Amino acid sequence: MAAALDPALQTALLAALESTLNRALALAPGSGEKLAALGDCVFALHCQAPPLDVFLLPGGDRLRLMGVYDGPVTTSVSGVASDFAELLTSTDPAAKLINGRLELRGDSAPLIELQKILAALEVDWEAPLVDTLGDVAGHQLAQVLRAAWGWGRQASGSLGRQLEEFIHEEARLSPPRLELEDFYRDVQQLGLRVERLESRARRLRKRLQQLHA
Amino acid sequence: MNEKEKTHFGFKEVDKDAKAGMVADVFHSVASRYDLMNDLMSAGIHRIWKRFTVELSGVRKGNAVLDIAGGTGDLAARFAEIVGPAGSVVLADINDSMLQVGRDKLLDHGLLDNLEFVQADAQYLPFADDSFDCITIAFGLRNVTDKDRALRSMLRVLKPGGRLLVLEFSKPLNPLLSKAYDAYSFKVLPVMGRLVANDSDSYQYLAESIRVHPDQETLKDMMEDAGFSRCEYHNMTGGVVALHKGVKA
Repeated sequence: MAAALDPALQTALLAALESTLNRALALAPGSGEKLAALGDCVFALHCQAPPLDVFLLPGGDRLRLMGVYDGPVTTSVSGVASDFAELLTSTDPAAKLINGRLELRGDSAPLIELQKILAALEVDWEAPLVDTLGDVAGHQLAQVLRAAWGWGRQASGSLGRQLEEFIHEEARLSPPRLELEDFYRDVQQLGLRVERLESRARRLRKRLQQLHA
Repeated sequence: MNEKEKTHFGFKEVDKDAKAGMVADVFHSVASRYDLMNDLMSAGIHRIWKRFTVELSGVRKGNAVLDIAGGTGDLAARFAEIVGPAGSVVLADINDSMLQVGRDKLLDHGLLDNLEFVQADAQYLPFADDSFDCITIAFGLRNVTDKDRALRSMLRVLKPGGRLLVLEFSKPLNPLLSKAYDAYSFKVLPVMGRLVANDSDSYQYLAESIRVHPDQETLKDMMEDAGFSRCEYHNMTGGVVALHKGVKA
């Protein structure tokens, strides 16, 4: 358990986050079924800076967040807060888990599934608003919120793409992702070949020693 | 002539035999407004303390849980959801008024199948040896006449490997916080009790009973003396409340 925070404060933060997430999940059609499929999984997030442990337990159509859990864990991820934020918002969580700075233990597939559910929360604003404000006002307000939510997502996506293009193509501050992945693959291949060569050399040296003996 | 054994009732020294009855009167008086007063007195933080208790309990599906001095059933309700139909939760309280309020509240929430309600004294628990995976007592131990006897009784009914969690008011770590807490307890609490529950004496007793309750280290030693292993405690809200945990070896 993270020692830096008073347990009451940590528990209060997790309770607030759990309540917000579950409210969003309840308003997002289809997310309940997807979450129910992860019912037997337990995810551990160990944040090193700031020190904080969070355990996510999907159950039914809800998600439980806990600061302490001493049972078996399906997937455990360690890293700093910014790495977790990158994973949560990533469009390619698998690549982020493999190539990023996060340390992963256990089965990654259920974690990627959970990340997709949380990242794709499509909130249905209309039902609760119509219940509270009535058909006409609720529908109007829901349309405004839906448009604002959609615009926000589109704008942030577009900004991300443009920034990426500027960094790669205009300023050439960093190579494109595919080029980088090719380079990593080549480095990995080279590493494997060097290892094979090393073991062949070792085998030959051994045979030479046997011939001389 | 045999001198009668004495114990604390708040700051007063009373006969050991009389304490249970006096505590019972306090809780008969506050039972109907207990939840409201808890929310007001702690600004809702008691829910967070209880939530952490549930987390640390490690209770799983199918477990048997005993919630002693369970009052209006906050912990028992949470445990009943976690253990599911294969598990069982016993809500025990020495006070029939509190037990009745707790039972009505849980039934109103549709919690019934895996719950039992038992009027029981923590010092003489009416259960077989090795019956429970987890026992909790939240804000109840300080009202028990003989705490050592109660701890031994809890150890007896726990299964080997089972956990006891004692959530109780304790000693604030910071002297400034301690002074502010004293002022709040002795000046504000009785007034709040008079206004909301029409009973300032009971809330005066509450403040006094917290002051005479053993501090963190003393309670840990008491649990070890009773036979619990791996005893530890977690201070919450600057030590205003501490959660002690012990395991039956």
